[in-house]
Amino acid sequence: MTSFTPYTYFQCPCTENSTSSRTFGEDLPSPTSDTSEDDRTFDPRAPRAAYSLHPLEHLLYCEDCHQIRCHRCVLDEIVTWYCPNCLFEVPSSSVKSEGNRCTRSCFQCPVCTASLSVSSVALAQTGLGADISAQAGPYVLNCTYCQWSSKEIGIQLEKPNGIYAQLSKVKNGGEPYISAKDRRREDRRDISESPKGPGPNETLDADSQFENLKSFYQSQLADSAPSGGMGFMGGYGYGSPGALSRIMGLYTGSSFGDKKRESKNGNMREVCDSSEGLQLTSTKDDQCAITRIQRVGWEGTASTAQQKEQAQSVRFMDDLRPFSHLLRTKRSKRCRACRHILSKPESKVQNTRFRIRLVARNYIPAITIQPLQQAPTSLLTPMKPVQFVLTVKNPLFESVRVNIATPASTPGRFASKVTVLCPQFEIGASTDMFDEALREGGKEKRRTKAEASEGQLQAEAGKIWERGRNWVSVVVEIVPASLRTDGPEFMKSQQIQKDDGPLREDEDVLEIPVFVRVEWETDAAHEESGGLAAGNKEKELKEKRELAYWCVIGVGRIAQD
Amino acid sequence: MSKKPAKGEYIETDTGNKVSRKCQIIGTTNIILGGKTVIQAEVIIRGDLLRSVPSSSSSINPSPNDKQQSAVAVAIGRYCFFSRGCALRPPGRSTKGVFSHYPLKISDHVFVGPGSVIEAAILGSHVHIGAGVVVGKFAIIKDYVKVLDGAIIPANMVIPSFSIVGGRPARIVGEIAEGEVDGFDLRDLWRSIGNN
Repeated sequence: MTSFTPYTYFQCPCTENSTSSRTFGEDLPSPTSDTSEDDRTFDPRAPRAAYSLHPLEHLLYCEDCHQIRCHRCVLDEIVTWYCPNCLFEVPSSSVKSEGNRCTRSCFQCPVCTASLSVSSVALAQTGLGADISAQAGPYVLNCTYCQWSSKEIGIQLEKPNGIYAQLSKVKNGGEPYISAKDRRREDRRDISESPKGPGPNETLDADSQFENLKSFYQSQLADSAPSGGMGFMGGYGYGSPGALSRIMGLYTGSSFGDKKRESKNGNMREVCDSSEGLQLTSTKDDQCAITRIQRVGWEGTASTAQQKEQAQSVRFMDDLRPFSHLLRTKRSKRCRACRHILSKPESKVQNTRFRIRLVARNYIPAITIQPLQQAPTSLLTPMKPVQFVLTVKNPLFESVRVNIATPASTPGRFASKVTVLCPQFEIGASTDMFDEALREGGKEKRRTKAEASEGQLQAEAGKIWERGRNWVSVVVEIVPASLRTDGPEFMKSQQIQKDDGPLREDEDVLEIPVFVRVEWETDAAHEESGGLAAGNKEKELKEKRELAYWCVIGVGRIAQD
Repeated sequence: MSKKPAKGEYIETDTGNKVSRKCQIIGTTNIILGGKTVIQAEVIIRGDLLRSVPSSSSSINPSPNDKQQSAVAVAIGRYCFFSRGCALRPPGRSTKGVFSHYPLKISDHVFVGPGSVIEAAILGSHVHIGAGVVVGKFAIIKDYVKVLDGAIIPANMVIPSFSIVGGRPARIVGEIAEGEVDGFDLRDLWRSIGNN
């Protein structure tokens, strides 16, 4: 049995307008969905709920909308691209031209994804006591984790730097690789020398095949489009008027689109030889692959995870190539509703500070739960009341009034009964660091107070259990449900009568939906922009604020009797 | 077990370090503690693994404080926490046929979980390393990184800031959210540890 740590997840309001929720195995939306939205209690077991619940640390807060924002309701904007291995910042222009991988010397092992290091072959051969000056000669890429070496695929490099450029010029086995562009240049030269050129069934590698196909179909599209500014002028010219009229023709079904298409049909044709990117497959290729599998065996084939990392489809270990690190980004986040920036990191890669960072934990009270008495087991005994301490901590500089509401019994098949003994209370303001320093003195006092009340072991209804400078804890009484689905019919709840299947995954976790409403008063001027703030200061306007949201508290697992 | 309970488990220094009496620190003169660092029982710190070859820059123009510089094997910042049974070893390798160790630098607010082995070159500040982790030789971990339990970080790996790393071999499996940044502060943890 793994230990269970209590958790609190907050619901982001961005999912609130989706009203219909279904329980598992139910075909029709539940009949409760037509009741008004305010009456509904949040069901943490609804399949949708998993997408709207977040730990407090993952949430942001928009100061203009006065609302919680999760990663689904913010817009990401890339500030910087950088390589995670060499931490070199890559300008976005070169990301566009060169792609999203590091073009310096950062390579990953094709077998285990650890980063590769360059070492000299000469040194490796002679061992530790080698001659010191012998730091030259061919180099290989070595994996320090799985001991893979680029020698296994027959690649040795001449220089210890500029590996990206060197690797792109060599095929597995050490043959030089001719890129599509160079090949075409060579082809042209061949044609001028001998009129025959390369054969129509020449085998191409994936890059040049793609290049040939692309150029062929681009020329086809350019030829078939009506002359003038009316066609696809290379690339994806969907915005051009020609394309627009064609799309309109599709929708209206008018004949003028068809007429054009008829005339086009004559012009369009498919690829017919290798210079246009046609590659014929033959049974010989399959036969080759089969004999190769027979030769190299299971060890010689690449796993699906290894195949996925490769740029081209690869079956065998001998065909694997080292791949360069994917670039990483630093991103700023904006509110989708009002477009204000919620988080903005410094653009420098090495700098870890934020220019703007509006995180929810600085705005909404944190909620934690722990058992009042330390139980011998981490499991909750069914039908036996347990008391928990719910602690609410205020991060704001104003004191807040908090209302906590829970349904009397938790949703789901096994309804545990929940009672919050003190659902309404006020929490003091979170003041400065000055008080933080004094906390050590306060801690002692707190402990003795807790001990004193523990002596009674009695939590009074309507009274706060404990209170600190900016936190309050209240007692919650829980009667965990029994996880039995058998037994006499009259004992069963309606839910179990409907569905008495076996226990599902994590159905024994006791989760309490809690509706939290926080009210506080704040200076209206405080929220205004800097220039106005000075002018408004004299007014000392107090503004009432309110924030309400659902959260889910995971209390523990219920023991199966 | 009658080992003088009055003495307490930790030795508290003037700079606020809390060092367990049951840890093994070898080569104490080569170790720098920034202060307010907790070292629990059975922790091994190998300060004796000193650099044996002078650094390339100092061999060209030797300076008077050269000796002092090379005498540091392990440098640890403030508010670090080394859990029970973890080991700190300066990394070593042979360059040009000569084997040498290199200093291990640890910044502030670094948590190392129980049973982990650290052979990194640099651990940045606000790094959380879980239990049973191996940080390979010359790995560089930047600020605000969380290493999950049982991860094995291969040698020479660089982990950028705000990463969550796990697996064998370790790879970057997630990002640290903006709100999680404050959770790396170890001041409260330091306060909670003590003899009483």
